[in-house]
Amino acid sequence: MRERGEPSVVHEPAGRQPVVREPAVWPEEFVARPRDRDALLVLASLEGIIPRDLHALAWREGSAAGCLRAIRRGAVGTDNDRTIAAAVRPDEVRKALAACGARARAPGDDEYPEALLHLADPPVCVFIRGQRLVPWPTAVTVVGSRTCTPYGHEIAEGIGAGLADAGVAVVSGAALGIDAASHEGALRAGGRTAAVLGSGIDVAYPRSNARLIDAIATDGQVLSEYPPGVPARPYRFPARNRLVAALGLAVVVVEGAEGSGSLITADFAQQLGRHILAVPGPVTAPQSAVPNELIRDLATLVRGPQDVLEAIGMAPVGATEDDDHPVPPGLSVEERAVLHRVSGASAAVEAVADAAGVSPARTLAALAALELRGLVASDGGRYRRTSSRSRRGW
Amino acid sequence: MYARSHTVAVVGVRGHLVAVEAHVGRGLPALHLTGLPGAAIHDARERVRPAVEHAGLEWPLRRVTVNLSPAELRKDGPGFDLPVAVAVLAATSQVPHDRLARYVLAGELSLRGGLVPTPGILAVAAAAAERGMEGVVVPEANAAEAALVENLRVIPARTLAEVVVFLRGEAKPSPPPTAGSPAAAAPAVDLAEVRGQVQARRALEVAAAGGHNLLMVGPPGAGKTMLARRLPTVLPAMTRPEALAVTLLHSVAGVLTPGEPMVSARPFRAPHHSTSASGLLGGGSSRLRPGEASLAHHGVLFLDEVNEFRRDVLEGLRQPLEDGRVVVVRAAGAVEFPARFTLVAAANPCPCGFNGDPRRTCSCKPPVLDAYRHRLSGPLLDRIDIRLRVPRLSRSELLGSEHAEPSAGVRDRVEAARDRQRWRLEDAGLRCNAEMSGAQARRAARLTSKAEFRLGRAVERFGLTGRGFDRILKVARTIADLEASARTTEDHLLEALTFRGEDGLAREAGVA
Repeated sequence: MRERGEPSVVHEPAGRQPVVREPAVWPEEFVARPRDRDALLVLASLEGIIPRDLHALAWREGSAAGCLRAIRRGAVGTDNDRTIAAAVRPDEVRKALAACGARARAPGDDEYPEALLHLADPPVCVFIRGQRLVPWPTAVTVVGSRTCTPYGHEIAEGIGAGLADAGVAVVSGAALGIDAASHEGALRAGGRTAAVLGSGIDVAYPRSNARLIDAIATDGQVLSEYPPGVPARPYRFPARNRLVAALGLAVVVVEGAEGSGSLITADFAQQLGRHILAVPGPVTAPQSAVPNELIRDLATLVRGPQDVLEAIGMAPVGATEDDDHPVPPGLSVEERAVLHRVSGASAAVEAVADAAGVSPARTLAALAALELRGLVASDGGRYRRTSSRSRRGW
Repeated sequence: MYARSHTVAVVGVRGHLVAVEAHVGRGLPALHLTGLPGAAIHDARERVRPAVEHAGLEWPLRRVTVNLSPAELRKDGPGFDLPVAVAVLAATSQVPHDRLARYVLAGELSLRGGLVPTPGILAVAAAAAERGMEGVVVPEANAAEAALVENLRVIPARTLAEVVVFLRGEAKPSPPPTAGSPAAAAPAVDLAEVRGQVQARRALEVAAAGGHNLLMVGPPGAGKTMLARRLPTVLPAMTRPEALAVTLLHSVAGVLTPGEPMVSARPFRAPHHSTSASGLLGGGSSRLRPGEASLAHHGVLFLDEVNEFRRDVLEGLRQPLEDGRVVVVRAAGAVEFPARFTLVAAANPCPCGFNGDPRRTCSCKPPVLDAYRHRLSGPLLDRIDIRLRVPRLSRSELLGSEHAEPSAGVRDRVEAARDRQRWRLEDAGLRCNAEMSGAQARRAARLTSKAEFRLGRAVERFGLTGRGFDRILKVARTIADLEASARTTEDHLLEALTFRGEDGLAREAGVA
């Protein structure tokens, strides 16, 4: 992990200037005292003042309590902010946080994701449910439309699972469609995933994803810059998208129709100097309009998790088959021979047996052992390496 | 003016001895039938008179009453023509009575007096022998079938006139026919003709060895039907009692092949997916006939395009899959048909057939796909231990698989494995691994510690349910039996796992 103050991610797509931004720095004593922590909960509840102004205010006042005083004075912020600042009781917020098992973290706390500090307007506070992720892990953001096609669903799930397998956390927005698919892929592969909500930390939106969000909170992390009880509103989603974009080293756009929110996320990602990756689709497919356009203009084309890993430097460029799939230890000679003959595309059992020189029955046993270890997957009676695993099908 | 002949009424697959009484008395010329005759027997009234006249005999121009006794038994079938005709002839003293008490007569008459092939003659002959009759007089075409019954004289006859000659004792009966033996001609198909498909070949072997039901999912042209047809060829040869039971069912249904009195090869039945419940399970309006499930008794019932079958029809298969029999209940009573078969179900992966094919694109929409897959009910799937995907292989993938093992070699291993199971399961009253309960499977598995470890991993990784777990154990036990292994090892278990069906199956059953 980077030391604070060091230049952040440098992305250098062909022919474009690298974007370098110093991570935002907050006053050291910002939340040092108990009353600063109380003030923080009130600051997080404000609706009028924008995070950028709050950041500036922090430097001026030096502490959260100081910021709150300034707001109450009416020096900054709107009238509405003053009303809220007077009305919000930190104890009640704390009680609501305890009820949903969430905690509040400010810049300077170890749990506050450092990646957020790359934003021009980092949130003054994030609410977190779930695992403690310190330091913030290597992560990739996967976004796309809520109404996805089966193709998009499969790819997103496969990327989620493939990244999780490689130890990369998957960040998304817990919405329907692509978001849900990528979270699910990561969860099913037993990996880490983080969801950033556009509503209060205890508000599941959409309701139908409540179980998914709880599952993410169990195995991964759910984040929000909004305190408990804040309802989902359309204007909150673009704000949420900036966090989604910041939390990953790269943003993968799987699908998105004209005017989709994933374009906003891609914009943020570009400003942040994150890698922009997109999954191509038929040029006639409305759901692939955004990724196709991104590919034409600035994004790197990715076909699956392997390409994504390559883009963030986790797999060597132009990896050969064997480099691509390092042979894990503990395999028998037979299993290794069989694994070696299973190509990325699906291979028929007879072809594998023939090439590996292993009897068909032993080949099947070896394939089952490999499948048990998640190294190959059965696909319509054929077997393939699990680089872009998909778990759909019969 | 009174005479009595004997015949047998077939109900289900059981024959009941029936006395056919004829009384010829005064009144307008007519033939009256009493004693619960079915529709086919009612027709006999019109057939019998012309047949008698064509045989050069005389039909009494008086009132003829024929009674079928016992009266409470509902009778049906065309075999009553001959006993009715003979009873009338005896009542008018055209044939002597003496042999009528000792012989059972059965056969359908043509208008010209010929005896035409009649279904169910084996059941007739069996009942006759059971009731201590001396012999049966049957159409010549059915004589070999009747001859399968021991301790019974079989008198074949081509015409009514020949029957009369025999009853009058005027001619020596033709030499008794010989029954076919169960070890008959080699089956027309062989596993050696299947190229590639190593997993499916192995699945057939394991299914045959453990009596497991099988589900194959694959695109059109993958060879699912070809494979299924070859399952009977790797099943152990039928014993004589088994062959007789099958022949009896086929005889009653009237589907015996002419010239082949005994069914010697294990049956393979492939009903079309439009088949009705009574077509598949047995039934019918007047005479209850065995359905395809019973015709597949001791053999293979192949349901191609299984998702296209009507759901209620498939649900009906649960009873035979559980008990090895079908009970057809009608107002008149219940009839039981044996139906112990190996089920082979085949399905396309989706309505268009190309889901999962690397070279073709599936054009099915998700809701259509879901609906299609849900048509296979959970309870039926539960009884299918082996599930696999059968890919359509390209020519290049088939290279190097020219020499496939013929059925005979596989069958030898299957028979040996069945012997081991019989020895182990005898006390529990079971025949094969597929019949084991979950608890029995867990006891019989005797996993090695490594296998146990793998199984634990599989439960986690694949989200196996309790029943899925038991299925894996049963199949693994069968694989161990094929290799004459007392313990179920890691390798046996791993191979069994490849037959579990993919995760989607579990998801369908509402588990994942």
